[in-house]
Amino acid sequence: MPTPFTVDLEAGFRGLVETTGLSPAASRLIWLPLPMLLVLVAAVVGVLVTVWLERKISAAAQQRIGPEYAGALGILQPLADGLKLLVKEDVIPARADGLLFTLGPVLVVVPVILSWLIVPFGQHLLISNVGIGIFLWIALSSIQPIGLLMSGYASNNKYSLLGGLRAAAQSISYEIPLALAVLAVVMMSNSLSTVDIVDQQSGAGLLSWNIWRQPVGFLVFWICALAECERLPFDLPEAEEELVAGYQTEYAGMKFALFYLGSYINLVLSALLVTVLYLGGWGFPLPVEWLASLLGQSIDAPLVQVLTASLGIVMTVLKAYLLVFTAILLRWTVPRVRIDQLLDFGWKFLLPIALVNLLATAALKLAFPAVFGG
Amino acid sequence: MFGFLRQVGDYTRDAVSASRQIAAGLSVTFDHLRRRPVTVQYPYEKLIPSERYRGRIHYEFDKCIACEVCVRVCPINLPVVDWVMNKATKKKELRNYSIDFGVCIFCGNCVEYCPTNCLSMTEEYELASFDRHSLNYDNVALGRLPTSVTTDPSVVALRELAYLPKGEMDPHTVAADRPRAGQRPDQIVAAEAAPSSPETR
Repeated sequence: MPTPFTVDLEAGFRGLVETTGLSPAASRLIWLPLPMLLVLVAAVVGVLVTVWLERKISAAAQQRIGPEYAGALGILQPLADGLKLLVKEDVIPARADGLLFTLGPVLVVVPVILSWLIVPFGQHLLISNVGIGIFLWIALSSIQPIGLLMSGYASNNKYSLLGGLRAAAQSISYEIPLALAVLAVVMMSNSLSTVDIVDQQSGAGLLSWNIWRQPVGFLVFWICALAECERLPFDLPEAEEELVAGYQTEYAGMKFALFYLGSYINLVLSALLVTVLYLGGWGFPLPVEWLASLLGQSIDAPLVQVLTASLGIVMTVLKAYLLVFTAILLRWTVPRVRIDQLLDFGWKFLLPIALVNLLATAALKLAFPAVFGG
Repeated sequence: MFGFLRQVGDYTRDAVSASRQIAAGLSVTFDHLRRRPVTVQYPYEKLIPSERYRGRIHYEFDKCIACEVCVRVCPINLPVVDWVMNKATKKKELRNYSIDFGVCIFCGNCVEYCPTNCLSMTEEYELASFDRHSLNYDNVALGRLPTSVTTDPSVVALRELAYLPKGEMDPHTVAADRPRAGQRPDQIVAAEAAPSSPETR
């Protein structure tokens, strides 16, 4: 009996390479950089699209047109921005700490890109199905405030220092409710792996998504994710009216571009993780197995597998960009909170809510193991 | 015990009302997405300045009698009137006149008080230059007339809000021959002079 066909790019690629007579170890070596490159490209393209969307939607919300001359509908505008930043002079301010100043933006961007490791676009369409999956992301995102603090401190500028301190305070405060919201989901799916979390939501299409079982967790997670990304209404670290640009004040050229890139990659990543944790990941609103049997096709047929894999990628990206859209809409709706309101909200509202949510999930899991994961 | 419960209740009510307000705000923002842009796509489109627009000052050298009233009424004594007394004719002889538009506040006092009407306001507002010293206009530069927006073939001239027909908000969609809201001063005068309103004061 032939094994059922699944879309497994690694096995396919390595099989293809090994037919030329190379050893499995060599084929693995050739395979290894490919997904990393793919993720880097996907992340950067995702950012370019997000920047364009942000500019166009912001313009529409303010009854403007937005960029329209760089490419069709201004689609090349983010590329032009990036190119400009690339060729700008790299300035290190006088009496700034050159090493920390350079290391800061790197330390901000690298963990964010590394976190893309665990984002699944399909059953086998992710870089690495690590067992600690979502925990790895939480751990990596805790490195970011160190980079922010570092760049704020190294800039030799009071605005930068204040911005860096605020960023650190904000990241640390919102990490905890974020982790608690994730914990409730993890408790239901009995696994930290992102693939398992999505699989657990794939039973009945739209109805089995975690958002119905974790509505509070979804809200807490999304609010915390916005705070982690330093999006409005939580963009205090770079509040331009009071802090010029926060920790980014002294940065120009490529180092500034790294911050810029990092913040948008982080936004897309957060949207993708909300998709994975609460909106059924790559799942179609109707179960694909059901659709396949309706059309009289076997779910294991190669063509159906390729189609469902493409559908999975489209669904993941679609859901993520819907969330990005809400983030942009929120940006023009909600005014910025004060630093004391921010910390109040994090510690006195989100933390108890997330805790209660976790306890309620545990109780419901014990009471209804069939619905809330056995 | 009940105090605590009441606090929790109040807190919940606050949270619910706050989230409802955010939802209302989001619906307002979302509604704006389907509205047409009202912006003017400068420099391809330009608004027609109103007839009382106070732009760059125009100056006619030949009319000027070098009385220096413009200097006296200017808040910062800006116009430079360079004249010499001709001993033979016992008359002032004007040699140069200049206004520095990097310093001018376009208040229009000089235009208001000029006894020979040699100063006037134009509709020119694009005075940007690479060097602030080139904003110091001499009598030749002051004598130039600006290109009108309505006659410039490379520009789509758009009417300002006050010059649009009643109820119209977007100049892009309004036909050029539709009259503005209300009546012009000459129309009001004509209506008052007409025999249909015979009341006398």
